[in-house]
Amino acid sequence: MSRTIRLTVNGQPHQLEVEDNDLLLNVLRERLDLTGAKYGCGIGECGACTIIMNGKAVLSCLTLAVLADRSEITTVEGLGDYRNLHPLQQAFLEEGAVQCGFCTPGMLVSAKALLDENPNPSEEEIRQYLRGNLCRCTGYTSIVRAVQKTLKPAAKESHPKI
Amino acid sequence: MPVDSKILPFRFRCLEPSNLTDALNLCSQSGDQVAILAGGTDLLIKIKRQMVQPEILIGLQRVPELQQIQTNEQGLRLGATVTLSEAEHYPAIQREYSALYEALRSMAAPAIRNMATLGGNLCNASPAADTAPPLLAFDAQLRLQKSGQERLVRLTQFFLGPGSSCLAPGELLTEICLPAPLPDSGSAFLKLGRVSCDIAKVNAATYLQRRGTVCILCRAAVGSVAPTPVRILQVEQLLEGAVVDSNLLRQAAEAGAKAIVPIDDIRSTAKYRRQVCQVILEEVLQAAWIRAGGVL
Amino acid sequence: MSFTTIGTVTPRKDGIGKVTGAERFTQDITLPGMWSALCLRSPHPHAKILAIDTSEAEAMGAVVLVPDDVPDLFYNERTVSVPARTYRDRRVLPRVARHVGEPIAAVAAPSEELAFRALSALKVNYQLLPAVLDPVAAQSATSPSLYQEVFFGDEVVAVSNNIACQRQITVGDAFQALAQSDFVFERNYSLPRVYHHQMETKSAVVRPDPDGGVTVWCTTQSIHNVRHLLARIFSLPMSKVKVKKTPLGGSFGSSIQMNTVIPICAALALKAMRPVKLVSSREEDFYSHTKYPSQIHLKIGVNGDMTIQGVIADVLVDIGAHQIQAYPYLGSICGWMVSLYKWKNIQYEGKAIYTNKVPTCAMQGYGNPQMNFAVESLIDEIAHQCGFDPIEFRLLNYVGAGDEFWGQGPTVRSIIKSCGVEETLRVGAEWIGWDRRQMPEVKSGRYRRGIGLARGFHTSGAGSPLPAEVVDLSSATVKVNEDGSLDVITPLQDLGGGTNDAHAKIAAEVFQVPLDKVGLSAVDTTTTCYDVCTHASRGTYVGGAAVLQAAQQAKTMILDFAGRLLGEFPQQLEMVFDSKLAETAVQSIGSNVKRMSLAEVARMAMVNGWGTAMGSGSYRQKNCPPSFVTNFVEVELDTLTGIIRIARAVSLADCGTLINPDLAAGQLEGSLMRYGGYALSEETENDPDSGALLCQGFITDNKIFSTNEMPYIKDFQTYFANTYEPSGPFGAKGLGEAAGNSVASAIANAIFNASGIRFTRLPITPERFLQALCERKGDQ
Repeated sequence: MSRTIRLTVNGQPHQLEVEDNDLLLNVLRERLDLTGAKYGCGIGECGACTIIMNGKAVLSCLTLAVLADRSEITTVEGLGDYRNLHPLQQAFLEEGAVQCGFCTPGMLVSAKALLDENPNPSEEEIRQYLRGNLCRCTGYTSIVRAVQKTLKPAAKESHPKI
Repeated sequence: MPVDSKILPFRFRCLEPSNLTDALNLCSQSGDQVAILAGGTDLLIKIKRQMVQPEILIGLQRVPELQQIQTNEQGLRLGATVTLSEAEHYPAIQREYSALYEALRSMAAPAIRNMATLGGNLCNASPAADTAPPLLAFDAQLRLQKSGQERLVRLTQFFLGPGSSCLAPGELLTEICLPAPLPDSGSAFLKLGRVSCDIAKVNAATYLQRRGTVCILCRAAVGSVAPTPVRILQVEQLLEGAVVDSNLLRQAAEAGAKAIVPIDDIRSTAKYRRQVCQVILEEVLQAAWIRAGGVL
Repeated sequence: MSFTTIGTVTPRKDGIGKVTGAERFTQDITLPGMWSALCLRSPHPHAKILAIDTSEAEAMGAVVLVPDDVPDLFYNERTVSVPARTYRDRRVLPRVARHVGEPIAAVAAPSEELAFRALSALKVNYQLLPAVLDPVAAQSATSPSLYQEVFFGDEVVAVSNNIACQRQITVGDAFQALAQSDFVFERNYSLPRVYHHQMETKSAVVRPDPDGGVTVWCTTQSIHNVRHLLARIFSLPMSKVKVKKTPLGGSFGSSIQMNTVIPICAALALKAMRPVKLVSSREEDFYSHTKYPSQIHLKIGVNGDMTIQGVIADVLVDIGAHQIQAYPYLGSICGWMVSLYKWKNIQYEGKAIYTNKVPTCAMQGYGNPQMNFAVESLIDEIAHQCGFDPIEFRLLNYVGAGDEFWGQGPTVRSIIKSCGVEETLRVGAEWIGWDRRQMPEVKSGRYRRGIGLARGFHTSGAGSPLPAEVVDLSSATVKVNEDGSLDVITPLQDLGGGTNDAHAKIAAEVFQVPLDKVGLSAVDTTTTCYDVCTHASRGTYVGGAAVLQAAQQAKTMILDFAGRLLGEFPQQLEMVFDSKLAETAVQSIGSNVKRMSLAEVARMAMVNGWGTAMGSGSYRQKNCPPSFVTNFVEVELDTLTGIIRIARAVSLADCGTLINPDLAAGQLEGSLMRYGGYALSEETENDPDSGALLCQGFITDNKIFSTNEMPYIKDFQTYFANTYEPSGPFGAKGLGEAAGNSVASAIANAIFNASGIRFTRLPITPERFLQALCERKGDQ
């Protein structure tokens, strides 16, 4: 028995017929063709499916689509596109924070949720906040650097090289 | 191995009551194939892993009564579906219930904490539940409701075994009640995992009240070292009424580590758990004592 | 040497797609009319499939694939070794399941939910067989067997005592050398099973084409490898197998071979006659591959003058249920040992054992991290025991410039031409504060710090002067478009390290065009020439050299066209970037008396009907230069909880000319994360009774490092030595694998320096560390 839900995704309203057992991740990916959020583990351990729902970072692989009814959702596609990159996206590019790129959408969305909550996080706070977004390529160093790059100058820590 | 974590492969109906009365009515009318869905971070994984296969989910997301946090002179009352991050950001918890705050901060990733609920963490009844030791240390009571009836159960009576609690069929945990902090009291929580985002190998919390150099009240609880999170009376008995110094806290931690019955599993070994249980017990006792204004 | 584009930090070309979510990985591909597929996987470690009842599943409308439906062809899913040196023991679906999680049937249906229901409706009649789960017991005469016989090349060979393959290598007389050495040290080292944990699970989308062929999108490090195998398995001409180069979400070696799900997906698509998508769940992916767990017995003879006299090594590898590259592994792991130090005399024996476990395959380093841990631990121990300075001891004995290097086992050898070992050791020692290092005996207190060092290397490719056991060949095409922009066409996969960006930069450098004028073409197997695979850190060194060759050919044509247009000998012309006009010009060498823009030359060549300037061809490197890496690590131990933290680290590399400096640093940074986990926490073991994975395929119980396990930015440095590899494109070598090989060794050596305890088994978990502390107390 399918049900109708209404979502606002990246500012666009949508009305969709979904089943009670449909997961939000699969609805975003398969019905709205927003494939930025990834399936990485399905059990909330990797963060690749992170989206922002009603202002909070959540894992779309553990969210029922029916319970997202009437919610406001931001996915990585809503951060910016090539004409208008979000400062985080720009910083990820500049800092080499992208390797294979599979974790990148979830990582960016988490980083955005962090900055929405705390515009001036310390390195410790950045690491704490991103600890649920696994990346097997970068060692996180460049990712943390990229997030720091978007902060106001006072908050930036300098990293002298050898 | 017919498991597929990409989808929820079986059909169910998800009911979404919009108030507590409806929620309780639905709980009492439904049969065995019902599961209560709070944050979903445990239940949906169990469904994916086919450990449960409910036909009806009762989703509590839209029940406003369960989302309240209230403080008064009696203490703190937390609705069962208050999320871990809502609790973590609540000033009274940050200020007065340090052990609970530290437990919440230690749990999972922020995105999970935005979804998972306090009630869900308790009703899942994992021996490793991180909110359990601090809530045991604060001597929390749980309000369990069934349409027309309600009872208050001390958390010490709530857990029966791994995954099992004293919730009766049709009964819903609606509220977690913490007594107001006593004067000159302090609390602390610590946890060890394999990495920072992990299920505890062992966790511990304590709550102490001080009069001068004497500990007049002590509650200590640990998790992941027994079939349920447990209070350790051996620690409490040693400290209550005693003049506290570093040696005594060490002895109490030793006594606590002797009292537990840990096992070997994929996350750790019984031996290790016993060793480090003593270490973190001693640390939480020290931290709580100092927070209570004590000197070591 | 100074460069225009090479060595500059530039946003990666696929970066915008990746940061905006627009990049399409295999799981993101959707085709009209596409069905979803799932595999049925064996719950038993060893069982004969007697029958599979598909009637109920088919009644639901699903298409079912069972062993009888697939061609009866045995293959090895990795085609990097020459065919005559390749063992073949698997078919698309086996008649005997040999590990828990082995796919034995598959279904496709209009939705994943229906596919799941159909899968659940399959009824399999198993005949349970006794399982072999211990690699030592497996060799006893009474042990059950996984195989009676397998193929080696075209021969059928008998398998006895579950020995999949073995190799012996002798240089000089190590027995005599050790007998005559002043000191002999002997240890057993044990390296764990570890899951690759790449973020993308193995996936495939296959579309049957109207001509009977297939178009394939899949997770792979080699599109041509997949094409070869699919063509052979399904008896298709290669021209009808179009494998699209698709971005992959990390791999670390796990997709060198054609992944198990790819031919299953192809068979389903051909049977259903519609596009089919098969995305492994994470738990299925866990059951698909692991790193080679290895037991290494090492015996080293050394004299009081710090000279090494000889080594005896025995390696036992538990390879699981299939041979992916066990035979070359046994050769390579010996080579990694041979090329670390000047042993003079070597006696090596390697044995690979079949067990009913998840098959093992290469994982970043291909045996090198395993062997490095053994050798660098023992070298460190020898230095400590004999009172040698650990740095001077290494400097006296290391294999460096002018020495012979084994890049991929005994048949792939070349002479080392560039070497930055000394520089990395000196600079690293200074940064970490090596001179202030104290011995463990003087340390006390709950938290103790220690500094450790290890050095390693990895090959760049598997090229050698003579053809060897390993195929090493790449190819590329570079063409100049009619506006002076370039297209670089390479089949070589970028695993995330920026290899294809390196290719673009090489072409940009040849033509002196801005990097944004160089495009990386979307390609498939029908539009590219052969490349073996992105493995062995060969992407930049070999693939880049192929691009360089093609770019130079294209440049020759441009100079020729320009010569005609300008009335000048082509040899008298050069290309320069004119920053005033912001364009690339072809002009007289050293002056601009005769000058045209590159765009104009290319356009006029088209207008005049002369053709497109382009170069295209295959390329084989005749060397396999090592990239050297040195790791210094400072750890902090908590002697009460056993928790070990990487407090500070510096990773120093010699990879020749740096092409992508930020991405090269990223290789070193990522390696500290992966091999920090290897040293301290990761282990993907099987239940010794059931053969199932202890973590059951869930990350919940197979944790990798997160942001919090890594040192702070100020506490972790990377450094690149100033070297130039004459055989590499613009002086470059590989880096990806070298970056990780000595990390765990350095961590273990730091733990010794902090605690006085030598660990011979990884990972060094808090449990094992506390246990060792207790045992030492007991001794005292």
